[in-house]
Amino acid sequence: MIWVSWRQHRSQAIACLGLLAALAVYAIVMGTSMRSAFGQDRLVACLAHSQGTGCPAAIRAFTGRFGSAVNVAFWSVLLALPGLIGVIVGGPLIARELEYGTWRLAWSQTVPRARWLTVKLGLVIGGLVVLGAAMTALITWYRAPMDRLTGRFLPNVYDFEGLVLTAYILCAFAFAVLAGLLLRRSIAAMVAAFIPWLALRLVVEFQLRPRFQAPLTFRQFCSRNGPCYGGYGLGTIPPSTGHIGDWVLGPGAGLPANQFGNTYLYQPADRFWTFQSIEAGLFVLLTAAALGLTIWLLHRRAA
Amino acid sequence: MAQDDAGGGATALRTDRLGRRYGRVWGLRDCTLDVPAGVVAGLVGPNGAGKTTLLEMIIGLLQPTEGQLSVFGETSHAPMAARLARVGYVAQDHPLYRDFSVADMFRLGRAMNPRWDQKLAQARTDALGIPLKRKVKSLSGGQRAQVSLTMALAKRAPLLVLDEPVSSLDPVARLEFMREVMAAVAGTGLTVLIASHVVSELERICDWLIVLADGHVQLAGPADDLIAAHRLVTVPRGTANAEFPGLIIHRTDSDRHSTVLVRTDPGRLAAPERPGWQAGPVGFEQLVMAYLQRSSKAPATNDPAQAAALPGPATKAVTR
Repeated sequence: MIWVSWRQHRSQAIACLGLLAALAVYAIVMGTSMRSAFGQDRLVACLAHSQGTGCPAAIRAFTGRFGSAVNVAFWSVLLALPGLIGVIVGGPLIARELEYGTWRLAWSQTVPRARWLTVKLGLVIGGLVVLGAAMTALITWYRAPMDRLTGRFLPNVYDFEGLVLTAYILCAFAFAVLAGLLLRRSIAAMVAAFIPWLALRLVVEFQLRPRFQAPLTFRQFCSRNGPCYGGYGLGTIPPSTGHIGDWVLGPGAGLPANQFGNTYLYQPADRFWTFQSIEAGLFVLLTAAALGLTIWLLHRRAA
Repeated sequence: MAQDDAGGGATALRTDRLGRRYGRVWGLRDCTLDVPAGVVAGLVGPNGAGKTTLLEMIIGLLQPTEGQLSVFGETSHAPMAARLARVGYVAQDHPLYRDFSVADMFRLGRAMNPRWDQKLAQARTDALGIPLKRKVKSLSGGQRAQVSLTMALAKRAPLLVLDEPVSSLDPVARLEFMREVMAAVAGTGLTVLIASHVVSELERICDWLIVLADGHVQLAGPADDLIAAHRLVTVPRGTANAEFPGLIIHRTDSDRHSTVLVRTDPGRLAAPERPGWQAGPVGFEQLVMAYLQRSSKAPATNDPAQAAALPGPATKAVTR
């Protein structure tokens, strides 16, 4: 059975290796030049003694040089990538058998179809986990110098490092497998799975993720007469809390009347892995639910 | 019905008031059959008659909505693997994985069937001159059909089910395919169920016949008995239906004469019973056609009730 699954998915596996190879080339080229620039700009020492406040020019130069390769534009392309990988692998898994009539062949052998599907899913999921882990490792490695400036909580970092990238792939895959069984068409299944996956991703990212745990409040006190620059957001290094890696969400409640300054709501940097676990857990749970439903539907399949 | 009702042998396939509903439409209903082991049974019916529905329930690809089904004693409640092991299946249009080689297809067969017979598979493709390294997509339609048949045979299941195996093939490939089926069956005791609407192809190889139309069994039994139980009678036009000693299956009226297919006890209507009558035997194809035409006129639901009152082997298939 394992051989059968491998034989049917080997061209997809080769395509995934190709993708990984392309990513590896990019990561090695970018990663090495970022590393050498990071060393030359003496950013290490600056970060160590001032959290980056002492060397704004050097930081600006570094982010100006490499920011475009790791930030928003790059991120919005990569945002869709886990979903695309998942639906392209998952959509045809059952739908192709239904489209070509080979389900009559596959499910009339002695191995029952629920077991056929379970073995197939096991193997493909194993492959996707390896792919997701390898992509995460490559991205984490090449971005490491930039992460020392920006931290890992910003969406363009958070979405590709840690556990969530793999979980996104698995979730899109599971949606597409289920859609393939229901719609009986590979392309339709890919589209039908990608749309809710993307919607879910955006809702989680912008609505749920900031609230996985109650945010902390940072208070910035200013003297009565002096200037008091505020400003929060994604761009400042270090962020308004003064600690690289903190994720500043926005302004907090006002200070008491006799005090001057600003307050910020933020998620501290050390919650990164907790948040990754919560979010990956959510997507893995949905993956399990969709695949469980698929196996059950196939087992007692009505049509 | 008793276990060895059909002549002493074991029962290969038994269904009891088997039915399958798709939403509000019944694809097959009230299907009661008892096919003994070792026969080659032809399942005839027009498109949409419920043939594929019946076959898919036999294989285990579909669950019955109502009624019972057993294949060599394994019912539709038995574990799926036990049920699947009993049936070798050649699906309509012979689905195979296009980018697999023939050897890959056999490896799949070996991986998915514990009793897979690799020697048999290779011997058959050698004899047919199909190279194992050839990709499925570069095989001819006839060769694909042969590979499908080979896979079903190498599964070593006691019941071989073929769904429209030759309808997509050219005449030469049809002949070759049927010859291979017969050669495979000869001396093995394999029970075969062939669904087809190509009646002429079935006549040569079937010794058991099931006619299915409108989701109901119209006729079932050993082909020779069924033919012996029917007579084709030519009578003057205007002869009343009540005058015939049996059930009128089909009647065509021309200017002067009527041609009537009558189901009656074997031996009746052997000679003309009345002046002006001519009685003769019915051919396999005529018999099937008569039942198919009949079902499209009369509401099929009336048939079992009528048939139940009659003697002859045909009734056993439709007993309520």
